[in-house]
Amino acid sequence: MYKGIAGSEGIGIGKVVIIEEHEVVIDDRTISDTEAEINRVREGIEKFVADTTAMADKMEATVGAKDADILRGHIMLLQDPTIEEQIVDLINNEKVNAEKALDQVLEQTAELFSQIPDELLQQRATDLRDIKGRILKILLGIEEQDISDVPEGTVLVARDLTPSMTAGIIPEKIAGVLTEVGGRTSHSAILARAMEIPAVLSIEAICSQVKNGDTVVLNGTTGEAIVNPDEETIAVYEKMLEDYRKERELLKQYTGKPTVSKDGTKVELVCNIGKPEDAKKAVECDGEGIGLFRTEFLFMDRDAIPTEEEQFEAYKSVAETMAEKPVIIRTLDIGGDKEIPYLGLEKEENPFLGFRAIRFCLQRRDIYETQLRALVRASAFGRIKVMIPLVTGVDELRQVKAIVADIMKEYDAAGVEYNKKLQIGVMMETPAACLMADVLAKEADFFSIGTNDLTGYTMAVDRGNAKVAYLYSAYNPAVLRAIKRIIECGKQEGIMVGMCGEAAADPKLIPLLLAFGLDEFSVSATSVLRTRKNISENDSAQCRELADKVMQCTTEEEVLNILTK
Amino acid sequence: MVSKTMVVRAEEGLHMRPAGVIAREAGKYDSNVSIVVGDKKINAKSLVNIIAACIKKDAEITFECDGPDEEEALAKMVELEAENFGD
Repeated sequence: MYKGIAGSEGIGIGKVVIIEEHEVVIDDRTISDTEAEINRVREGIEKFVADTTAMADKMEATVGAKDADILRGHIMLLQDPTIEEQIVDLINNEKVNAEKALDQVLEQTAELFSQIPDELLQQRATDLRDIKGRILKILLGIEEQDISDVPEGTVLVARDLTPSMTAGIIPEKIAGVLTEVGGRTSHSAILARAMEIPAVLSIEAICSQVKNGDTVVLNGTTGEAIVNPDEETIAVYEKMLEDYRKERELLKQYTGKPTVSKDGTKVELVCNIGKPEDAKKAVECDGEGIGLFRTEFLFMDRDAIPTEEEQFEAYKSVAETMAEKPVIIRTLDIGGDKEIPYLGLEKEENPFLGFRAIRFCLQRRDIYETQLRALVRASAFGRIKVMIPLVTGVDELRQVKAIVADIMKEYDAAGVEYNKKLQIGVMMETPAACLMADVLAKEADFFSIGTNDLTGYTMAVDRGNAKVAYLYSAYNPAVLRAIKRIIECGKQEGIMVGMCGEAAADPKLIPLLLAFGLDEFSVSATSVLRTRKNISENDSAQCRELADKVMQCTTEEEVLNILTK
Repeated sequence: MVSKTMVVRAEEGLHMRPAGVIAREAGKYDSNVSIVVGDKKINAKSLVNIIAACIKKDAEITFECDGPDEEEALAKMVELEAENFGD
């Protein structure tokens, strides 16, 4: 079995067609007839423009206008007068041939783009290299493989899927895609998802591991592919493919619908995200907001603390992407178990019980204030709410509120805009917070239950330790009692109570959470429709009956016996 | 030479699409058309140069047109800006 990156969801079964990459060899000869060479360049550009226009029109029909515009952008880039000027100069002054001049100028421009740390410009650099490859092939008379010609049920195997290749794809014919490079945000992945073709990317040397005509099964959801599987495996994948199609059809009818239980109780169904760009996925997957935006990534893989401006831009972009929908942003949740050299955190004996999250932030006011200042400013651009992690008592909440109040006072004086009703809530994930939930609910604007850590801390168990991991279970009556208590305390004071752990998407726990009165379910983007369906199949009265029975249970086994029935 | 200063309102700044509109339209005039942003002066007829300048939303830019049809060129750029450069 080959493991790669899950680029586009779905199951694929089919026969391999390898897309050969013709090596482009540029000979280095010097030329004497510069005029002829310049004409070759101009003719090449003309043919490129004609071919690409045709491809873009085809693509507009199969994939959509937005992706066709990527190709139309290629035409504009190549027709840039400064590009032609540079090429002509090179030929005239250095007497290089057309291929060499094009290669050099386009590579230089791509290099210029890729040096600027901006995601859009990185993409343009990729585009330029794709353009370069194609126009060189035109000049050298190399024909590109016509992908639209492949038989039905083809699994395309290529080093990379370039936009120009993708243009030739007829989605009905392609069962799947395997590539050697590319990640979830690469062109290949985006285009494969747009065409709903399952894809596994970044499988090392896959082109040399398969032959044309080999049978391949692939799972674009888990990122797995098997070449020439036995009949049993094929049968398993056929079943998976059928189930996947059925489920997708079934789930499609939940798109754009409100999240309501069978008897009409409405709840909020929102998403957990880790990066600003994930917000787009939450919108695509029909999430009703963001229930947890982890801000740690902003601080990782870099040499210094992100500035207030950088953070402001990140928070603002998520708020704007989500428009009028709520966005809960969790402040820095970091400790000795994460490698962030510039924070100077020491290794600890017990990092999960140590100097981390709000404890760290309240002592490193410089870092925390910068983050809160950015958050308060960004609150002017959407429905941002601030959530504090690892709270153990009301004094921590009060301290954060005091810092925020000071920032607001300063902004008032300076005329900086922000949301004056900015909500500050608590992530409920420690037994201490659970026991003090009645007190916290009086001063917090909302609760969100982090079931992953709540389970770990309640059961005093490290889920990574195989010898004790069996204790780590949200079905344990102790954890269920904690969850129930937190929701009840929140309801008592009339604040919103949400859940942002894995339990919120668990079909076994959803009836209990509905019975306890949970207001908001925050799940991964890909679980939105499934969770909406689960919620819609539950009836409040029946949920309450079930919850009454479950809460009488004395062991996890008893709980599971009832819930799996 | 004539010029006009404005603030970029296009959501993603002067990325591919707006930059393409500017370069295409600027290319129709005989005058030199430049964009001044910060201390940089960019040839507005070059899509590559506009994109490489990485001009974001809310940035202040100045169009400078210099040549026989500078008035018309500048008027066109102002008109394009009013339409958010087609974004």
